[in-house]
Amino acid sequence: MKKITGAEIVIQTLIEEKVDVIFGYPGGAVLPIYDELFKQKKIRHILVRHEQAAVHAAEGYARSTGKVGVVLVTSGPGATNTVTGLADAMMDSVPLVCISGQVPTHMIGNDAFQEADIVGITRPCTKHNYLVKDVNILPNVIHSAFFIAKNGRPGPVLVDIPKDIQTFKAVYKGKKNTKVISYYKPNLKPNINQIDQFIKLLENSEKPIFYVGGGVINSGEVASKNLFKLIKSTGFPCTQTLMGLGAYPTSDNQCVGMLGMHGTYEANMSMYNCDLMICVGARFDDRITGKVSGFSPKSKKVHFDIDASSFNKSVNVDLTVQGDLARILQVINKKIEEKKTSFKKAKIKDWWIQINKWRSKDCLKFKNSDKIIKPQHALKRLDFLTKKYNPFITTEVGQHQMWAAQFLTFNKPKHWMTSGGLGTMGYGLPAAMGVQIAHPNSLVIDVAGEASILMNIQEMSTIKQFRLPVKIFILNNHYMGMVRQWQELLHGNRLSESYMDSLPDFVKLAESFGATGLRTEKPSEIDDLIKEMIKVKGPVICDVIVDPSENCFPMIPSGSTHNQMLLGPNDKVEGEISEDGMVLV
Amino acid sequence: MNKKNLKHILSIMVDNEPGVLARVVGLFSGRGYNIESLSVSEVDSHKFLSRITVVTSGTKIIVDQIKAQLAKLIPVHNLVDITELKSFIGKELILIKLDVKNKKTFDLKKKLERLSAKILEENDLEIIVQFTGSPNEVKKMESILQPYKIIEQTRSGLVSMATGTDYIKK
Ligand SMILES: Cc1cc2nc3c(=O)[nH]c(=O)nc-3n(C[C@H](O)[C@H](O)[C@H](O)COP(=O)(O)OP(=O)(O)OC[C@H]3O[C@@H](n4cnc5c(N)ncnc54)[C@H](O)[C@@H]3O)c2cc1C
Ligand SMILES: Cc1ncc(C[n+]2csc(CCOP(=O)(O)OP(=O)(O)O)c2C)c(N)n1
Ligand SMILES: [Mg+2]
Repeated sequence: MKKITGAEIVIQTLIEEKVDVIFGYPGGAVLPIYDELFKQKKIRHILVRHEQAAVHAAEGYARSTGKVGVVLVTSGPGATNTVTGLADAMMDSVPLVCISGQVPTHMIGNDAFQEADIVGITRPCTKHNYLVKDVNILPNVIHSAFFIAKNGRPGPVLVDIPKDIQTFKAVYKGKKNTKVISYYKPNLKPNINQIDQFIKLLENSEKPIFYVGGGVINSGEVASKNLFKLIKSTGFPCTQTLMGLGAYPTSDNQCVGMLGMHGTYEANMSMYNCDLMICVGARFDDRITGKVSGFSPKSKKVHFDIDASSFNKSVNVDLTVQGDLARILQVINKKIEEKKTSFKKAKIKDWWIQINKWRSKDCLKFKNSDKIIKPQHALKRLDFLTKKYNPFITTEVGQHQMWAAQFLTFNKPKHWMTSGGLGTMGYGLPAAMGVQIAHPNSLVIDVAGEASILMNIQEMSTIKQFRLPVKIFILNNHYMGMVRQWQELLHGNRLSESYMDSLPDFVKLAESFGATGLRTEKPSEIDDLIKEMIKVKGPVICDVIVDPSENCFPMIPSGSTHNQMLLGPNDKVEGEISEDGMVLV
Repeated sequence: MNKKNLKHILSIMVDNEPGVLARVVGLFSGRGYNIESLSVSEVDSHKFLSRITVVTSGTKIIVDQIKAQLAKLIPVHNLVDITELKSFIGKELILIKLDVKNKKTFDLKKKLERLSAKILEENDLEIIVQFTGSPNEVKKMESILQPYKIIEQTRSGLVSMATGTDYIKK
């Protein structure tokens, strides 16, 4: 068989993995691969303006399609620039393959020009990584990387390829004839015994709640469908994490909204008072649990997850079922049908009465104004006016992100991309590019803060080059609002370094990149601005000047429990925040 | 719920590839788990497998978390918590160099013999002792040597294996 170079193998293996787009940035140590890229037509390369953005773009691409996102960068600074993106993907379980160039094998360890031990650096923030020192195993490594990235709990895999390996030759026999790692066998089949136990718990519960997380989105559309069926057949309430929004339609009456630090009153009170908590692909994050010792003290807890290390990590549960959610939920639905289990609405009637009482607090209400734009109002209008386009929403990190989670509707999975676990400012814009590349005809909106957007603003240039009609909706409050909010609540209102001085003129900034800039500070103009944003064919930056003093409620102050929520600006933290609470992030 | 800190011996079969030890050790340091001892060496040169023995301690919840995290590492083929098995053996090899300048060593050598320790090197200035034993036997050995001046010592860390023909699968 004909031998081909390592660089050719990279391209061939990517094609066999059905990769049609990669996000990258060239440099000395990947020139052979870029040369091969130049010679072919099957893979499109999106040239970003910073490698971190390449990773976030690949995340947006992956999260909105369910496919593996692919990144290509050079050695040294190119590779180290990906670290934040890889850590982000690791936290939020996003399947990625990142290929980095490396100095030639004989120079590794010599502090060669643009050498960085990227395998060492990214070991804790990738699901796995490889340094390829033999061109003959390159096909195995790349196919294994894809296998690992997308199977089990998804995550990023980095493949570091020294430049000499890219030029050495080997035989590539195609994916079918290449051995991928055989002993990595994520447990996919649920244990039937445990499912039977679960159904018993279901039948006996009087105050149940489904606590739904990002695992449902990871598992795919089938999992969402099966979940919908299960929740409908039980009549139980359901709450979603930030990462789970859209796994179950948020406008459905059985959905009580997001839970956690900025979740709804009804969701958190239901979690606190339930007698059965059914965790479906969520990981009991500290933003959910608050003070662990006071977390849902009276409930039996069931946890479905593909990753055994998610079980009992921070909260002890009574029953665990390991497996892929699509499968677990399918088995449960089948059992319920077979057993002809019918769920009597009478049993949970009082529970719903109670929940509706909590609901009637209308915890997301805010005082609107006709003088100044309230960020919540701007998002409500955005939701109303864009709903019919079924938009993809990405966000940056901060108050605007939480308001977006609270005020937008998510009725479909894979339409909401946000940095949950790492909370990476600068995620939203490049992620929106990735989403737009995958869905060229869809409406893609980055809900942004004026501080976060500046962290990857250079990507306007990528947006211009590839004519991506991304809409950037900045809620400009002139503050790192989330930071200011904590300083107000926890640090005696000393606003240390959280004011955003010297902001650019976002309209001119947009125009300088050939995009449209829109700006308003009047509540009466917000609808027109949004309509104009939708109407414009190309990219748009909307600079929406909002009330700089607005805070995001409800809020569970760190170190507190679900029944100690602050519902509005007039709610004060009861007593002092404990020292334990102060040190929490 | 078991809140007691207990010692666990974990035997881990891994691919003998560069970086594998860093992955295991990095997992412990990165997540703040405890390593009391560690030993590693290749045990199958055909399949390129190494066996790592880690002694760690923690509550049941913590140790379960450690095991789940270790099992997730791609080069980890199999992991056994030896301490959870019915019966197992745990041994450590130590080398100790004693200062015997101007000292009588007759008694010492007698005692060492009784403990089946070996003397590997002996001259007017030093004695190098090799001893293999369980953690308890090692402790006993240490107390016997207390009166002598130890110049240096080195220890292999615990290695361990369950009894029975059901061996750790690759
Ligand atoms: C400023 C800020 C504020 C925040 N406030 C909140 C808040 O108020 N409320 C909130 O909810 N979050 C909040 N977050 C997000 C929070 O930090 C976490 O990212 C989020 O709660 C985690 O969501 P999750 O539990 O659904 O887990 P994910 O991180 O989505 O994890 C998914 C789980 O599902 C499992 N899984 C993956 N694939 C499968 C499969 N195929 N089958 C079965 N299981 C699978 C995984 O093993 C994992 O355990 C905030 C973040 C920021 C930045
Ligand atoms: C890279 C990074 N640095 C710092 C932080 C800490 N941080 C969280 S929110 C925030 C402020 C965000 O401000 P802005 O984008 O204007 O959003 P707002 O809260 O005002 O809506 C900061 C600094 C972070 N999450 N990410
Ligand atoms: Mg701001």
